[in-house]
Amino acid sequence: MIEVTNISKALPGGKKLLDGISFTVRKGEFVGILGASGAGKTLTLRCLNGLLKPDTGSVVVQDQDGSKWDICTIAKTRLRQLRRRIGIVFQGYHLVQRLTALDNVLLGRLGQISTVRSLFYGFTDKERAAALSALEKVKIGALAGARVGRLSGGEMQRVAIARAIFQNPALLLADEPLSNLDPSNAKVIMKLIQPLAQEMPVIGVFHQPEMTARYCTRVIAIKQGGIIYDGDPRLTTHQLVDIYGEELRQIENPPILPTGEAAVLTRNSEDNERNFF
Amino acid sequence: MSEISSNLRVFRRYGRVLLPLAGILLLAQGAAWVCGARWDLVFKGMWSSTTFLAQLLRPDFSAFADMVKPALDSVFIALVGTFIGTIVSLLFALMAASNIAPPWLRQSVRFLLGMERALPEIVILLFLVAALGLGPFAGVVALAIGSVGMLGKLIADAIEELDPVSIEAIQAIGANRVQVIVFGVIQPIIPSIISLSLFRFEYSIRLSVVLGAVGAGGIGLELYRSFVILDYGRAAAALVVTLVLVFLSEHASGYLRRKIKGEGRLQ
Repeated sequence: MIEVTNISKALPGGKKLLDGISFTVRKGEFVGILGASGAGKTLTLRCLNGLLKPDTGSVVVQDQDGSKWDICTIAKTRLRQLRRRIGIVFQGYHLVQRLTALDNVLLGRLGQISTVRSLFYGFTDKERAAALSALEKVKIGALAGARVGRLSGGEMQRVAIARAIFQNPALLLADEPLSNLDPSNAKVIMKLIQPLAQEMPVIGVFHQPEMTARYCTRVIAIKQGGIIYDGDPRLTTHQLVDIYGEELRQIENPPILPTGEAAVLTRNSEDNERNFF
Repeated sequence: MSEISSNLRVFRRYGRVLLPLAGILLLAQGAAWVCGARWDLVFKGMWSSTTFLAQLLRPDFSAFADMVKPALDSVFIALVGTFIGTIVSLLFALMAASNIAPPWLRQSVRFLLGMERALPEIVILLFLVAALGLGPFAGVVALAIGSVGMLGKLIADAIEELDPVSIEAIQAIGANRVQVIVFGVIQPIIPSIISLSLFRFEYSIRLSVVLGAVGAGGIGLELYRSFVILDYGRAAAALVVTLVLVFLSEHASGYLRRKIKGEGRLQ
């Protein structure tokens, strides 16, 4: 369980980036955070694993065994311990390009082994087997030995998810995991993330309301650093316009032209095509 | 009226070229006067150098056997010097990168590296010969120190160009400082470290010939000695060996660097 209470963050000049954000996510929930660019989605997510410290408020993470920590006030070494239990999939795919898919998955437990052991890739056979099964879970077990730099975008994102699974996390975060992916690969990734919510709370930042409507159990919308919507993932057009602004309405419902004008457009359609595309 | 304006046009047309040319000639004349260079000396020197070149064109083939060991010495001086230099410069580079080190450390290390670059390797070697005595060891240390100034800065720049998220991705796993540096910083730049140190190796080979003459031994010493005892046939042999050495090392390093670059690309 993760409990976010009233977190705020402001620039030194006083401009508020996050303004009193609160929500609680339990096991079994797959929460999609939506919002226009610059609304504060990624900032919120970064607060959840301590990459960013909010000015006020608290982020309390509760492990399965019942122990609780506030990420905002925790000491540095304790924060490292806690991060081992927080899986995160980054925007794009920030893997070590030179290493194989399997080695990248193994890096997920860097924090859980000693420094010396990690420098010599001293992972046990048991850990290697677990990493391989994580890769099989995302259906790319056959690519375990391939260098990540040679994989496709969708495959790299799957390696990143396998790494998060291998961490055996108490909480899974995803920062725009679908950016750089084509629609069918995006679906595959969502289908892989969705079942993980049965074991841990999953929170993701997305730019695709149609994807969150389909796969998430709950949607939180952020605008200008504050929550404007929290609830059912199936949003109405009216709500989407609230989140993304008036321009969206024009994309969703193109203006209907009177017959006369439409006829003129059809006659000149060839010219129009040349101009527009 | 029209005559003046046409003269002005001619001046505008050619003056842009002629004025700087006259300036350069004047400067050259002044420099020659200061250095004591004279045309008759130039012709005399040309004459004596042709006879000298004629002698150089007849290398002493029996001397080649003696050149193998000094040549290998030079290669090893350059190789070991560059290798040690790369390792040490990696440590300095980490301290000189703004995304890892605090500003005061970065500034002072960068200043130190700049000071080193300002110091010619020959001067370093002369100091080292005084401290360590003549021989390849002084040469190795001189080249290692020389590499640090250049590689330290270039590797630090490569680190600063890293995507900050690749470092954060390792931090987010819960890795400690050492692990973040090894897997988030050093791993992604290994290709550029190898490529930069190979480039430096080319330079070190050429430098090791010069340093050899000053006291580090190797093919440079052989070359210098032959010239001093006026054994031009032997000098020619040493020169041929040096040329082959430099040519081979440049091509080998160029080939390896192209390979490494190719590997980073998506297929």
